[in-house]
Amino acid sequence: MNTLLLSQSLTDDLTRVNQQVQRSVVVVHNGRMGAGAGVIWRSDGYIVTNHHVIARGRPRVTLEDGREYPARPVAKEANIDLALLHIEASGLPAALIADSHGLHVGQVVLAIGHPWGQRGAVTGGIISSLGTAETRNGGSAVPIIRADVTLAPGNSGGPLVNAAGGVIGINTMVVGGDLGVAIPSHLVEEFVNRAIGDRLEATE
Amino acid sequence: MPKETNPLNSLSDAMVEAVEKAAAATVMVNARRRFPASGVAYAANLILTADHVVERDEDIKVVLPDGSELAASLAGRDPGSDLAVLRLERNGAAIAEAASGEAQVGQLVLALGRPTLDGIQASLGIVSAIGGPVRTGRGGLLERYLRTDATPYPGFSGGPLIDTAGRVVGINTSGLARGAALTIPALLAWSVASTLATHGYVRRGFLGVRSQPVALPPAQQRLLGREQASGLLLVGVEENSPAEQGGLLIGDIIVAIGEKPVADPDELLAALVGDVVGKPATIQVVRAGQLTSVTLKIGERKD
Repeated sequence: MNTLLLSQSLTDDLTRVNQQVQRSVVVVHNGRMGAGAGVIWRSDGYIVTNHHVIARGRPRVTLEDGREYPARPVAKEANIDLALLHIEASGLPAALIADSHGLHVGQVVLAIGHPWGQRGAVTGGIISSLGTAETRNGGSAVPIIRADVTLAPGNSGGPLVNAAGGVIGINTMVVGGDLGVAIPSHLVEEFVNRAIGDRLEATE
Repeated sequence: MPKETNPLNSLSDAMVEAVEKAAAATVMVNARRRFPASGVAYAANLILTADHVVERDEDIKVVLPDGSELAASLAGRDPGSDLAVLRLERNGAAIAEAASGEAQVGQLVLALGRPTLDGIQASLGIVSAIGGPVRTGRGGLLERYLRTDATPYPGFSGGPLIDTAGRVVGINTSGLARGAALTIPALLAWSVASTLATHGYVRRGFLGVRSQPVALPPAQQRLLGREQASGLLLVGVEENSPAEQGGLLIGDIIVAIGEKPVADPDELLAALVGDVVGKPATIQVVRAGQLTSVTLKIGERKD
């Protein structure tokens, strides 16, 4: 294959994946210092972010198109650093969620977030390892994805996506230096289903 | 090129395959008090690792990719190049394939390590620089080294730097340059390893020349009777050196030592490692457009 064509189409792919994912990435403000990122998990207003992003303060969410909403915390799980928010909106561009069961070390990944307040910044790398981390309150070991993408404050709660733009995890800064640690999307999916299921039962 | 091809996915798949291939030959080396390091199965029963991660001579454990733990003995070590060879009681890991030819600056590479029982670890980068010879912090001389911007995670010392086809480009170590990561080219590392496995330590051959690679025109390649794109032009010959005593002259182009073609400095240095010191060697050179050869006795390099 012509090498110039190849690198051009690699670049095109990366830009396309980025544009596709950006629509589903939000800014989560907590009314205090700093902000994090979030992922539109469902088009009917459910947004996933890190627990530590909204642990204090009243969260507000800004969509990629600039619309801003107050957000209601629906569920939190501090031990896996996840929180589910809901905003009164529908028809939102939900992210494509990929299955994180069949991941491989070496896969190309992109992380999107707002490091140091830079909106929608994207960093690239590969999956470095698939292991486990102890949860903070000395609880059980949870599976995590480590990637060699550079993360900074503001990336928390943002998506880690594969080469097809599917979300394979939620980036969190709770453990592990300036390199990426993400909670796999299948754990996030279980968390979301649990939270929404609980809520439906509660309203019955 | 069909339109449906998605190069990003293909690249991603290719890197996964490369990691899987090399991971089968990447082992955990447990021979120091701190957390374990990594090693590469480069021949049957033999593991190449970094010398500085082997802190003890006994009670050395190697964990294979399948998770089984084997006792290993120290076959040899060379602090000067920070390489050590461990001998296993049995096989169990796949044998790594070394990349042929020299690494290129800008080439995509992956650094691999297995410092935990959680499976293989990897980071992506490019070859940032190729350098050498350089004096190492351990009293040795490294004839050649690579640098990469791939993240060296803790415990990556002794593990491989691989290309996108899963071939080993070099052995990573943070033990040579005051903690900074550095990669020993595979050709050099393999050559040191074979000496270590046989003799337990390394004596380095010495010619006493300074040289630079030059392209060989087609006419000269026909003289050689083989395809060899380059040779080493001598730009300096040390007084009283084996090279001078053997009759090598400035302007000669070295094209082979013994049976081994020499096309670049790496190959010259590799030809001078192994069981060569004090032995006669036939140096094939192009002199004034003619192929000729001189025989000399290879000296020992004193570092």
